[in-house]
Amino acid sequence: MQANTIIDKQSFWVKHRFKIILASMVLLLPPLAAVFQVSGDTAFCGTWCPRMFFSWRKDMSGAEFFLGFVRSYLGVVLVTAVLASTFLLGRYWCSHVCPVGGAMETVSRLLPRWMKIDFAGIPAPSVRYGYLSVYLLAPALGIGSLCCNYCNFATIPRFFGAAFSQADMAYFFRTAGLINLGLVVVLGFLAKGGRGYCNFLCPIGALDALSNRIGKTFGRRVRIDISKCTSCGACKRVCPTWSINSDSKGMSIDQLSCMPCRECEKVCGQEAIRYGKNER
Amino acid sequence: MTKKIIIFVIAVGVSLTAATHRWNDSAHAIGVIKASGGTARHAVSLESGEDSYMLIATATVIPPYRGDVKVVLEGKPEMEYEIHSSGPIVDLGLHTWPKFENNTFYGLKPKDRPALWVKMKPPQVDPVCGMEVKNSPLIVFSGGREYRFCSRQCLERFEKDSRSYEGRDQVRGKYTLAFYDTKTGMSVLNIPVVIKGKGEKSDAGEHHH
Repeated sequence: MQANTIIDKQSFWVKHRFKIILASMVLLLPPLAAVFQVSGDTAFCGTWCPRMFFSWRKDMSGAEFFLGFVRSYLGVVLVTAVLASTFLLGRYWCSHVCPVGGAMETVSRLLPRWMKIDFAGIPAPSVRYGYLSVYLLAPALGIGSLCCNYCNFATIPRFFGAAFSQADMAYFFRTAGLINLGLVVVLGFLAKGGRGYCNFLCPIGALDALSNRIGKTFGRRVRIDISKCTSCGACKRVCPTWSINSDSKGMSIDQLSCMPCRECEKVCGQEAIRYGKNER
Repeated sequence: MTKKIIIFVIAVGVSLTAATHRWNDSAHAIGVIKASGGTARHAVSLESGEDSYMLIATATVIPPYRGDVKVVLEGKPEMEYEIHSSGPIVDLGLHTWPKFENNTFYGLKPKDRPALWVKMKPPQVDPVCGMEVKNSPLIVFSGGREYRFCSRQCLERFEKDSRSYEGRDQVRGKYTLAFYDTKTGMSVLNIPVVIKGKGEKSDAGEHHH
């Protein structure tokens, strides 16, 4: 088994996950937002927008749809790279790099346990794909849009920039801004694990989870060795995406929600959880 | 399985409600800045009755235009407004940004993509004639609201048929977020802003934030 596990508990990615998230927040969120300045942007909106280009609006011509890809070409590159890397290695973008999800998880970890809301009872894929269906269909049918109106990639950077920039502060001086703030606070900052927003309402997370699920046979994933598992439930308690299930057969991981944060691997006393390729 | 299906249906329902509902206190306009006069992709539509509005305007500078551009909100009755521009908080010097001061962009150049946040505060108007009535002492309370009037004639017309005028003390009409080249005085972008009465239909293709 060890031969197939490319990264063990002492690996860089396991030991330094939060340091990587913090570095990503520094590089991608205000006040520095260094990466965006290279292309003349200040946040994910614009050239880097990872969410709008794949949203087809009613009466949109093919050329207009294509122009959206050109306008957000760095967002297109980002999403393509995220989906491809997930297919092969699992959702490392979500667990280690995404400054938006990472910021929500980091703030959640700083808050006392009594403040946390546990959303684990809600089947996340049902909410996620219900939301994604409307995200894609509403503009295509011309009945409305969730894109931009409810966007964590717009809200989190403005949240961090509001203390420094009146323009970022202005984002919250309107109903939609306040609702976005409420969603980020309740589903992110106050959620147990900090990943409620990612798990329910992130369209990139939804596409990424599909790539994770489709590639689970070929790619590297977090896996449970049932023969070693004692069903103690320690892994389930620390999973920020509540993707570990227990039933009469033992514990199992839902690859439609799992990201390789590998918190479960760290707490497993039986070494029943590993990250690697499917051995069967 | 049943639980998953029920949650999926609920998620679709809530998401549909969110997608189809429009928040009428803010809107987003996208346009181009051109030497020969740029246009917005569509007019901005807002609904009257809000204490303040937020207009988010983004534009791309089309070559060969270069210059300084003054931004003003035009229309009657005049609205109080503040304009803020997005820019880097810590400028690392990796890109040359146009400076935004006193509602003016300095040094706009081709391919720049300025973004503006325009906070607008509509004045209270006379429900009969539509004139601004900021400090008018002619006041009538009707239906739990305070109405102010520009003249005694308007006040009397209101009292005779208050039902027809109720709720019409909020600004409605057409405004323009206008961008002017400071050297030539020529318009380089016009964004129409329409404030409609409650219940009036919006135009197709509007993009609301």
